Amino acid sequence: MENSNSYSPYSSSSVDSTKPSPSESSVNLSLSLTFPSTSSQRETSQDWPPIKPRLRDTLKGLRLRQRGYHRALFVKVYMEGVPIGRKLDLSTFSSYESLLENLSHMFDTSVICGKRDIKHHVLTYQDKDGDWMMVGDIPWDMFLETVRRLKITRPERC
Amino acid sequence: MNRATKLRPSTSEMNYFPDEVIEHIFDFVASHRDRNSISLVNKSWHKIERYSRRQVFIGNCYAISPERLIRRFPCLRSLTLKGKPHFADFNLVPHEWGGFLHPWIDALAKGRVKLEELRLKRMVVSDESLELLSRSFVGFKSLVLVSCDGFTTDGLASIAANCRNLRELDLQENEIDDHRGQWLNCFPDTCTTLVSLNFACLKGEINLSALERLVARSPNLKSLKVNRAVPLDALARLMSCCASQLVDLGVGCYENNEPEPESFAKLLFAIAKCTSLRSLSGFSEVGQLCLTAFIPISANLTSLNLSYAAEIQGNHLIKFVHFCKRLQRLWILDSIGDKGLEVVASSCKELQELRVFPSDLHDEEDNNNTAVTEVGLVAISAGCPKLHSILYFCKQMTNAALITVAKNCPNFIRFRLCILEPNKPDHITSQSLDEGFGAIVQACKGLRRLSVSGLLTDKVFLYIGMYAEQLEMLSIAFAGDTDKGMLDVLNGCKKLRKLEIRDSPFGNAALLADVGKYETMRSLWMSSCEVTLGGCKRLARNAPWLNVEIINENESGRMERNEEDEREKVDRLYLYRTVVGTRKDAPPCVTIL
Repeated sequence: MENSNSYSPYSSSSVDSTKPSPSESSVNLSLSLTFPSTSSQRETSQDWPPIKPRLRDTLKGLRLRQRGYHRALFVKVYMEGVPIGRKLDLSTFSSYESLLENLSHMFDTSVICGKRDIKHHVLTYQDKDGDWMMVGDIPWDMFLETVRRLKITRPERC
Repeated sequence: MNRATKLRPSTSEMNYFPDEVIEHIFDFVASHRDRNSISLVNKSWHKIERYSRRQVFIGNCYAISPERLIRRFPCLRSLTLKGKPHFADFNLVPHEWGGFLHPWIDALAKGRVKLEELRLKRMVVSDESLELLSRSFVGFKSLVLVSCDGFTTDGLASIAANCRNLRELDLQENEIDDHRGQWLNCFPDTCTTLVSLNFACLKGEINLSALERLVARSPNLKSLKVNRAVPLDALARLMSCCASQLVDLGVGCYENNEPEPESFAKLLFAIAKCTSLRSLSGFSEVGQLCLTAFIPISANLTSLNLSYAAEIQGNHLIKFVHFCKRLQRLWILDSIGDKGLEVVASSCKELQELRVFPSDLHDEEDNNNTAVTEVGLVAISAGCPKLHSILYFCKQMTNAALITVAKNCPNFIRFRLCILEPNKPDHITSQSLDEGFGAIVQACKGLRRLSVSGLLTDKVFLYIGMYAEQLEMLSIAFAGDTDKGMLDVLNGCKKLRKLEIRDSPFGNAALLADVGKYETMRSLWMSSCEVTLGGCKRLARNAPWLNVEIINENESGRMERNEEDEREKVDRLYLYRTVVGTRKDAPPCVTIL
């Protein structure tokens, strides 16, 4: 698992410089679909192949169990300004990118991490020390070990 | 026969009998289309038909208003409503797009309709709606929710508590917020009328003893589908209660592949008593031992859904399916492989419907060779003479295979092929798959539903327009070259009702060529195509009886900033005919032109 020092929000193993940058991919969920060239490292999109959500979740869970992840990891997710939060099983994601895509979908807005932006919501997390941090600085697997809850903030606050 | 002599001359030809007799005759006409035709014959028949109509099917909840529905059919008992467009199943439609149930329940309650059955697909259902439903219709018997969302187990609790005559509660593939159910406790002790209970899609825990008591007091229970929270020993107990009358069983989840011997023995014993069992499903997170437990009754099965049985290896699937000699419907994962499909072809001679779903979305198992290819499809087509419906996800296809399939199976009504990689050509000749699909539409004269995939040019649409005379629904993804493709379909397929297109280069010319065509169709969906805002506006101007909806990615609201740029491509377009004009409940991300 790389932990590059150059500005690259993702340190997951499937970093690919030809993939859309975080803000692009979170604005247009189907972006990866207009480029049908098959990068075997391309993360699964939410809308292809055309299967129903329940099957998609089942297959995600299967893949993770096959790779050795057994335990579900439910964390609370809040959107700033919205009192009622959601719960998300982080173990079903394999990278920051798929997490962001899912959150963008779940909250119907574009959620990014790392880059401050006027337009987009930024994802933060509370670690096991109780501190609130920007998502994306540490390798994904390490993130899973330390994350306790998520908050989608308005950019100004960061 | 007093009435007959009072008939006016214009109707005397048609009405030899009193209205009651005509109504009785109409009772034998069940199909919605036939009843619609009857109502057009003359005013008298229209009136009789109106008052005697018990079942109504509304394919698009925004095509008509609840008030108008009730005015026309005041005596309706059973209502089917569909909300979101089909591509909502694949996350292409925002959650809050629409399809709200509440106005319908509200109107039905106010109109004092004696509703007994409600069947919903892709609607947004709230706990409030469910509560209102449960309190408003004394004789309410059957609730079927398919791919709906917006409610929680609290809503289910209302249904359980208040619907005294509930026979059917069938929840299929819904997104339900699970408040960790005491909802099963809400069925009163006096409730003994349940015939069908399906809560397989619920994600949370349930009260097992409440479930067991409910099943024990439901002598008519024929269909039971439980969720993953029902372990082996509980399942065995449930089945023992109603084994002899069970026709349809959905099995939950087992924690591991080595169940306790005593529980397992109880399960086997219960299974042996299930002599009426014809349909089996579930098996998510279940190992193969539990599947093989059902072998003793496998020869009786007509329907088998193992599409969630992701933990069971291909060879065990094959072993089980081999015994299902009477199978008519099979839904399975592609881990069964081509070899498995060959076994299906030789064992399941009664097979009518097959669905093969992908088990690996990440292309990692590529070298594993367990997925299905054209070989499996050809084998099925050769071995199963009664096959009429297929949904097939595969990694590769050839024209030769499709041509063979067309020759073997001219009786297809539904043919949906999804090659996982967009734009993939014939893997042997590297050509497009136009000829293969062309053969399908030419041979299958009764084809009503078609989904195409792989590398396809305008030619395939020329074929579809020419030959697919009975086609009602067409799904296109990553296909075609120019507007001519879409035009050939719109011009050629006279019976087309639903057209859904994504990521294909069709634009304004095709969209606008024949505006009147959309009056004959239920709906059109186009996403990531070449249509522009200007084109959509022009369409909306020329067709006031259409709702032309633009769905934006941008959450910040309607398209004010784009007013000046009519050349801007539209991300998602959904248009549908309606008699009630623009809907008032659209969220900010939807602009109705």
